[in-house]
Amino acid sequence: MELQTALLDVLSLETLLTILLCGVFGLFVGSIPGLTATMAVALIVPVTFYLSDISAIAAIVTLTAVCIFSGDIPTTLLRIPGTPSSAAYVDDAYALRQQGRYADALSTSLMFSVTGGLFGTLILFLCAPQLAVLARQFGTYEYFWLYALGLSCAAIVSGDSRLKGAIALLVGILFSLVGLSEVHSEPRFAFGSEELISGVHFIPALIGLFGVSEVLRGLWASGGKDAVTTYSDLLNVQQEGFSFAQQISHWLSRISRRPWQTLRSCSLGTLIGMIPGAGADIAAWMSYTFSKRSSSTPEEYGKGSEDGLADASAANNSSLAGAWIPALVLGIPGDSVTAILIGVLMMKNINPGPDIFTQPEQVTLIYGIYISFIVANLFLIPLGYVGIRASGFILKVPQRVLLPVILLFCIVGSYAISSSLFDVAVMLFFGLLGFFLERYRYPLGPVVLGLLLGADLEASFVQNLTKDRSLLAFFSRPLAAVLGIACLFIWLTPALSAALRKKPTVLEE
Amino acid sequence: MNMRTLFVWSLLFSSLLMGCERQEAFPNRPITLVCPWSPGGGTDQVSRQMAYFLEAELGTPCTVINATGGQGVTGHRRGMMARPDGYTIAVITFELNTLHHQSLTTLTYEDMIPLISVNEDAAAIWVPADSPWQTLDDLVADIKANPGSLTASGTATGGAWHLAFAGWLQSAGLETTAVKWIPKGGADPSVQELMSGGIDLVCCSLPEAKQYYDRGELRALGVMAEETVPGFEDIKTMREQNFDWVLVGWRGFAVPPGTPQDRVDVLRTAMQKIVSGEVVIDDKSFPKFMDQRGFNNRWRTSDDFHEFLARNDQSLGKLLNSDAFASLAEGAVGPYDFPMLLGLLLSGLVIAQVVISRRIQTPAITDQESLETSTQSENVSSSIINVLFGLGMVLLYILLAETVGFLVLTAGLLVMFLWKLGTKLTSAAVITIILVPLVYYLFAVILRVPLPRGWWGV
Repeated sequence: MELQTALLDVLSLETLLTILLCGVFGLFVGSIPGLTATMAVALIVPVTFYLSDISAIAAIVTLTAVCIFSGDIPTTLLRIPGTPSSAAYVDDAYALRQQGRYADALSTSLMFSVTGGLFGTLILFLCAPQLAVLARQFGTYEYFWLYALGLSCAAIVSGDSRLKGAIALLVGILFSLVGLSEVHSEPRFAFGSEELISGVHFIPALIGLFGVSEVLRGLWASGGKDAVTTYSDLLNVQQEGFSFAQQISHWLSRISRRPWQTLRSCSLGTLIGMIPGAGADIAAWMSYTFSKRSSSTPEEYGKGSEDGLADASAANNSSLAGAWIPALVLGIPGDSVTAILIGVLMMKNINPGPDIFTQPEQVTLIYGIYISFIVANLFLIPLGYVGIRASGFILKVPQRVLLPVILLFCIVGSYAISSSLFDVAVMLFFGLLGFFLERYRYPLGPVVLGLLLGADLEASFVQNLTKDRSLLAFFSRPLAAVLGIACLFIWLTPALSAALRKKPTVLEE
Repeated sequence: MNMRTLFVWSLLFSSLLMGCERQEAFPNRPITLVCPWSPGGGTDQVSRQMAYFLEAELGTPCTVINATGGQGVTGHRRGMMARPDGYTIAVITFELNTLHHQSLTTLTYEDMIPLISVNEDAAAIWVPADSPWQTLDDLVADIKANPGSLTASGTATGGAWHLAFAGWLQSAGLETTAVKWIPKGGADPSVQELMSGGIDLVCCSLPEAKQYYDRGELRALGVMAEETVPGFEDIKTMREQNFDWVLVGWRGFAVPPGTPQDRVDVLRTAMQKIVSGEVVIDDKSFPKFMDQRGFNNRWRTSDDFHEFLARNDQSLGKLLNSDAFASLAEGAVGPYDFPMLLGLLLSGLVIAQVVISRRIQTPAITDQESLETSTQSENVSSSIINVLFGLGMVLLYILLAETVGFLVLTAGLLVMFLWKLGTKLTSAAVITIILVPLVYYLFAVILRVPLPRGWWGV
C-alpha cells in the first residue's frame, strides 16, 4: 500500500519534471571542472522549499548521480577529471580516447555508473539499518587505517613505477599539510600569509594538476607549428559508430563476462560510501586497485583498460547510495551532500534516525527515496547518452581554439569554489607542478589523492597518539586491527616478493 | 581592421550599458554572504536561510559562498577585507573573538561594522545515555581520581568548544589538561567518535547534539547558559550546579569598515525585519526555521551587539592569555613531527629513485609524448614561448581581475591568446563575443558564482 503511494508520488508530473531539470543541470555542473555536486545541491536548497518532500529528495538524488557520471566526460575527452573520483581512471579513459574509442570509454563508465547506482540502492533498501551499525564502529583508529589503505592503493596502481607513485603520493600529502590543521594550534608552512593558513584548497589544485598542465602540454606540443590541428586530426583516427543498442549489448556482455568483479566493485563502493568522511574517491581508487590486482591482464591498467574503468565507475556511483545509509539511519552525514540533505529533511519536519524506518507515516517517504534512486539512475542512461553524443564535438574543435577556452574554464572553475583569486594562483602553481611531474613521468593521480586525504591521515594519526602514545593501540580495536593488518599486508607485499625474487629491479614493474 | 574597430566599439558600448546601472538605489547587484564554515554545518544553514529571506526582502539575488579553512580565519578575513560597498556581507561567528588572541589573524571585532547577531547557543557537556556519570560532581570526582586519563572532544585544538570545556575545568578548580582533548574537525565527527566508544565525553552546543538528545542517545550533564534553555528544560545550567562558568557561541553578520552608512542601514533594517519574523514567505519565516532546527534565536543589533562583542573579547582574552591555556595549546604530537616523518620517507624514496634510474636507462620518450616528438626537435624555443604565454595569461588575470572586472579582462585575454595561437583576429573576436558573455551568464546568473567585479561592476 505504502509502496503504491510512494510509486505514485515519484511518478507524479512534478517529481519527474524535477528529475529531468536536475539531470540536465547536473550534467552541466559535473562536466565543468571546479563545479561540484555539493555546490549544485547547495544551490537548489532554496528551490526545495517549494517542492514536495519527495521531489526535494529526488532532486538531490538526481543531481549527485548525474554529477558523478558527467565528471567522466572531461576526464575522457580532455584528461581533466570533473570530479576527484574520476582521477583514479583518468589515464585509462584518456588512453581509450587516444585510440579513438572515447564513446566506448564513456558508455562503459555510464552503464557501470548506473549499475553501481542501482546496486547501492538495493543495499540501501535491503540492509541499511544493519550496515549503519557497522558505520558507527568507526573511530579514529579505524579512520587512520582506512585513509592509509586508500592512499596506499593510489601509490600501488598508478603508473609504471611504484616508487614514482609513492613519491608523487608523499608530495601530495605534504602539500595537504600546509596551513592550520584541525589538530594543531599553529599554522605550518604558511610563511606569514593569512591566505595560506587555510591551506591548499583541493579543487583548484586538482584543476591545476590536470587541466592547466594539459593546456601547457598542448602549448608545448604546438610550439613548432601552427596549431590548426584538432585532437582527432592529431590522432588520425575516426570515431566509430555508436548507437544506443550497441551500448546496451556492450554492457550486457561485459557484465556477463565479469559478474563477480562487478559485484565486488559495487559492494566495495557501497561499504566505503557509508563510512562518514570516506566517499566516492576512496571507493574508486580501492576498487581500481582490487580490479588490477585480480586481473589477468594487469599490464593494460593505466593504458586503456575498460575493466578498470568499469569497476571504478561502478564503485564511485554505488558509494553515493552508501552515503545515505548513515544519514537516514543515524542522522550522521556520510559526505557534504548528505549534510545538506539532512538540513533539507529537517526543514520538511522529517527527522532522520532509526525511527524513520518504523514510523508508518515515514514509510511512504522511505519507499519514495528508493524509487527516486532507481528512477534517477535509469534516467541517467538516456541523459548520459545525449551528453556523450553532444560532447563529442569537442574533439573537432581545433586545438588553437580549445586550449584558450579550456584555460578560461579552469580559471573560472577555480575561482568559483570560494571566489578567491588566491585559488587561481594555487591552480597556476599546481599546473606547473603537474606539467613537470608529467615530463619526468611521475603519475598525477597519487598527488591528487594525497592532497585529498593527507590532512585527514595526519589528523587521525595525531588523535590516536593523543589518546595513547603506544603504536600498539592502533590495533587495539577489532575493526582497526583488521584494517591495519590489511594495510600492512599491502605495504609488505612488494618487499616480500622482492626478497623472494631477489631482483633489485622489482620496483620498476 | 574594420572588424577590429567594430569589436573595440562593441566592447566599449556593452561596458557603458552596464555602467549605467551604477547610479541607481542600493542594492541593484547580487549580494554575497561569505560564510567561514563548510556547507551543511550550522553556520552555513543559518547563512543560507538569511540569504533566502534577504533576497526576498531586498529584491536582489543573495548568494552564500563558503570560504573555509584555517579554523575560520580565511572566511572572516575574506568577508571583513572585501570591498566596502555593501555587496559583500561577512558571516561572523564566536571565533572572531578568539582567533586574534591566538595570533592567527590581526583582525578583531573592531575591524568591521557589526550589523546584527542572530543566534546564541550555549555549550553543554554531553555523555552517552549509559554513562555512569549522573551529575557534574560525579564527573569532577572521576577526573580528580584519574587525572589525564579521560578523553573529550568537540572541536579542533583551541576551537570554541575546547575553550568552553577548558573554562569549565578551571571553574571546577581542575587543571585545563586534566582531561585529554582529542582535536576533531567539528561537533558532528566528535559526536560520532563518542558513539563509537572512542572518547568519554563531548562538549558542543545544544542544537549540534539535539537529534541524539531527542532520541535519548546522549545526556547533557550541564549547559553553560545564563539560564535554562527552552526546549532543553531538564538540563541544569553550570551556575545551578555551583560552577561559575558561562559560554555561548553566537553567529552574526557584519560589513567591512568604510561601508556607506545608508547602505549599512538598509541591510540592518532588512535583517532586523527578518530575524523578528516580519518577513514571511509561504508561511515560512526565519524564526520558525531557527526553532525547527533547535537554534536559539536571541538576537542583538547595533550598540547592543557591539557591546556584547567587546565583553566576549575581554573574557575570552583573559582565558586565552592565561598560563593554563599556553600549556593547553601544546599537543601530544608537535606540528612538524608528521611532516618531518614524511619528509624523511620522501628523501629516502627519491634517493632510491635516483639510484635505480642511474642503473636502468629508461626510454626517454613515451607513447604519450610521441605527439610531441616531431616538434620537440624542431622548435623548443617557440614551445617555451607558448608555455610562458599561457602562464602569463593566468598571471595577468590574477593581477587585474579585481580592478578591470571579469567581462572586459576575460574578453581581452581570450582574444589575445586565440590570436597568439594562430586564430584570425576576426574569428577570435567572434568566438570571444559569443563565449565570454555565455560563460558569464552560466556562472554569474545560473550558477550564482560571484565573479570578479571591476570598474564597470561586472
